[in-house]
Amino acid sequence: MRQRTLVGLAIVTAAGFALVGCSPAADTTTSAPEASSMAAEAATITLYTSEPQEKIDQIIAAFNEEQPNITVEVFRAGTGDLTARIEAERTGAEIQADILLAADSATFEQYKADELLLNYTPTDIESVNPDVIDSDGFYVGTRIIPTVIAYNTTAVDAPPTSWQDLTDSEYSGKITMPNPDVSGAAAYNAAVWYTDDALGESWLTDLAANTPVIAESNGPVAQAVAAGTQPIGVVVDYLVRDLRDAGSPIDLIYPSDGVPYVSQPVGIFANTDEAEASGLFVDFLISEAGQTIAVEQSYLPIRNDVGTPEGAPAMDDINIVTPDLDTIAQNKATAVALFSSLFG
Amino acid sequence: MTPVKPDGVTWLGLTLWLVVGAVVLVPLAAVVFLGLSDNHVQVLLDGGVLEAGRNSLVSAGVSAVLAVAVGTILAILLDHTDLPGRFVLRLFLLSPLLVPPFVGAIAWLGIFGPSSALNLAWASAFGGPLWNLYGGDGVIFLLTVHSYPIAYLIVGAALRRIPSDLEQAARIGGASTWRAMRDVTLPLLRPALLSAFTLTAVSNLADFGIPSIVGLPERFVTLSTLVYRYIQSGTVDKPLEVVGTIGILLLIIAIVALVINARLARRGNELDDAAAPRTPFALGQARWGVGITAWVLGLAVTLLPLLALASQSLLPAPGVPFTWENLTLSSIKRALTAPSTLIGAVNSVGLAVAAGLICTILGLAVATVATRTNARGNRALGALAMLPQAIPGLVIAVGWLILAPQIGLFNTRGLILCAYVMSFLALVVQAVDAPLRSTPTAFEEAARVSGASRLRSLFDISWRMSFPAAVTGGVLVMLTAVRELTISVLLLAPGNHTLGVSIFNLQQAGAYNAASALALVVTIVGLAGLGLLGRRSRG
Repeated sequence: MRQRTLVGLAIVTAAGFALVGCSPAADTTTSAPEASSMAAEAATITLYTSEPQEKIDQIIAAFNEEQPNITVEVFRAGTGDLTARIEAERTGAEIQADILLAADSATFEQYKADELLLNYTPTDIESVNPDVIDSDGFYVGTRIIPTVIAYNTTAVDAPPTSWQDLTDSEYSGKITMPNPDVSGAAAYNAAVWYTDDALGESWLTDLAANTPVIAESNGPVAQAVAAGTQPIGVVVDYLVRDLRDAGSPIDLIYPSDGVPYVSQPVGIFANTDEAEASGLFVDFLISEAGQTIAVEQSYLPIRNDVGTPEGAPAMDDINIVTPDLDTIAQNKATAVALFSSLFG
Repeated sequence: MTPVKPDGVTWLGLTLWLVVGAVVLVPLAAVVFLGLSDNHVQVLLDGGVLEAGRNSLVSAGVSAVLAVAVGTILAILLDHTDLPGRFVLRLFLLSPLLVPPFVGAIAWLGIFGPSSALNLAWASAFGGPLWNLYGGDGVIFLLTVHSYPIAYLIVGAALRRIPSDLEQAARIGGASTWRAMRDVTLPLLRPALLSAFTLTAVSNLADFGIPSIVGLPERFVTLSTLVYRYIQSGTVDKPLEVVGTIGILLLIIAIVALVINARLARRGNELDDAAAPRTPFALGQARWGVGITAWVLGLAVTLLPLLALASQSLLPAPGVPFTWENLTLSSIKRALTAPSTLIGAVNSVGLAVAAGLICTILGLAVATVATRTNARGNRALGALAMLPQAIPGLVIAVGWLILAPQIGLFNTRGLILCAYVMSFLALVVQAVDAPLRSTPTAFEEAARVSGASRLRSLFDISWRMSFPAAVTGGVLVMLTAVRELTISVLLLAPGNHTLGVSIFNLQQAGAYNAASALALVVTIVGLAGLGLLGRRSRG
């Protein structure tokens, strides 16, 4: 019954399009590249990513120096929009991307469980920080994106140096942080704090007492701290470095009591027609060359042989927290709900 | 109400049903099917859907009342009095249309954010902040600011059609200017006020940018921000189905609003067409007082955020003090030379013009058929065209994404165009609806008596009479489409951009000042275009 109605609607649609002339203005066929059986290099792959446009353009330009015959088409959007598009594509037909480079491992765990990802072991995986590698081989992290304490250097003389410090009443009304309801990384952080023995629910309660402004996502947090709207922020590190380099009065501190991070993983979709070319792109992202670009773009790398961004401490000097993913997954919904009730 | 043989009008109605069915009903149906495919009501109840629903109703309703009030005052002051400098003021007052709401919200936070210079200074002098923009009141304020231009254009178009002889009669009878306005003009405007209210209320229901930036920090959740919560945080299974359920809820609210609107609109007044051009009210002694007040308030609402944008455009990064040495053109240069900007400009202008043209013709046809023919189905057609206004862009985009592979439009500009037409058609339908409702059918009847067919009389009389209102609506569509973000961001093909997306991408890349610069340029170019348009239509 429902099926029949849909068919009827589809016919109406077709008729309608003929009438309005809503026909494709420019039909760029990117989604169905020719499957070449031989290892002929020419291929077109589609990448879905939340990486900023300029940064992903640089990466692809460098990749094309190594692989001039592989064309990488980029669809860039925020993580939430990417999720929505992928879900809609799954509902309508099938996922139209070859590669996903975005978000955190939780998103990839979900896709892995739904059997949407291709099992792939990149070349030179041995050089990569084992913490960011999926043990089942479906995805691998491409950057360490820690959440840190940012502060406005004009407005704050003695910045907090640990998460514990943030609960000091001295910072009441001065803090801003992203909304775990909206930002995947913020939801992850909430779960890390919630399951941390030294922090946990009591720390979240104390932090809420300082009435932080819950901004939509990391971008507005960094902007508010730089502008001095709220002089202290909980935010991902590279945004702060970028702003500092651009001249904003902002600096950052890696909290001494543990720095949670997301790893912007990359994975190949199982229904790709270009597994080989996609694999080459993943190889490049984690290669020495690819990670050198990451460091130039102010990200902490996933390898030890490319240094760290200018002005960032060495990886060994940062107290990185790598919690058990299952524990985080189990506690995330509770942590986000608690956060919402406390900061309401 | 006598049954008529199928004639031209019947065929026109059928054709319109096919077209509107294709661009509106089918994607809405896709969303509804999605929402009905499983029962997610409990998930939504746990997620606070009731509170979000209440917040949505309150913020959309109150902001629409305020927007219509402001829009009406402006329509009278700017179009029908001798207010000094009204032409320039009019352009300023239209500027919120061109500023993407998420950019406008950030600009306003610079002025009324909890730690803004203004609030800090106020707090040190009087012990508390002047006004904290965050929260429900801020959402209502910004929704009002971003929707009063629409109300103004719709009410203004209707006001232009009210003959001044009635007012003059009242004046001759001894009524004061304001008395004539209150007792004669405003009652005649009622259909337009209702149209403007429904349109702004329903579209504010779907707004995402403002409640997400200004509402969420104080936990003021609306249905449209709830949509994003389920999609972005990845805490529920099958997020699209949950989102579809919220879409259904919004549709129900919109349908209720439309039914109420239809009931109220039934008791309308009919007017002859304006015979003589209206003579402006002379403000007399109040001219300068009213003028100065209007200019100060108008500039405060429009120029402050534009200045905030301008000052950010001239600085390299947020927080850099505004001094001579720090001023730079680098942000503007970065915004204008980014490769995505040119692609975005070409796409946005092309799509906006196409959407504007299609919506003007389609909306005009739908509104005339819906108000000028008796068939019940045709009235439903008008209502159907309104429904997408209530649906957040993300949900509309999801509907089209699901359909895209079947209709072969995946990754094409055609897909975005269809989604634009779906979302913006209501702007024209509502703009045309008001003047048509207050025009008697006598003209059509006269044409019929003289031997014109039903279709011919509809085309020659109704259509021509409401064409100016349709053009107003079409311009609104273009202005809204040129900076559209949420639909385009999901439907773009890889490597493609629109202006809204280019601004958003700069923002996401941390290039806040370049994002401000691009938003400012889009606004200024748009206003210049409007200014030219206005001059030409006058000259």
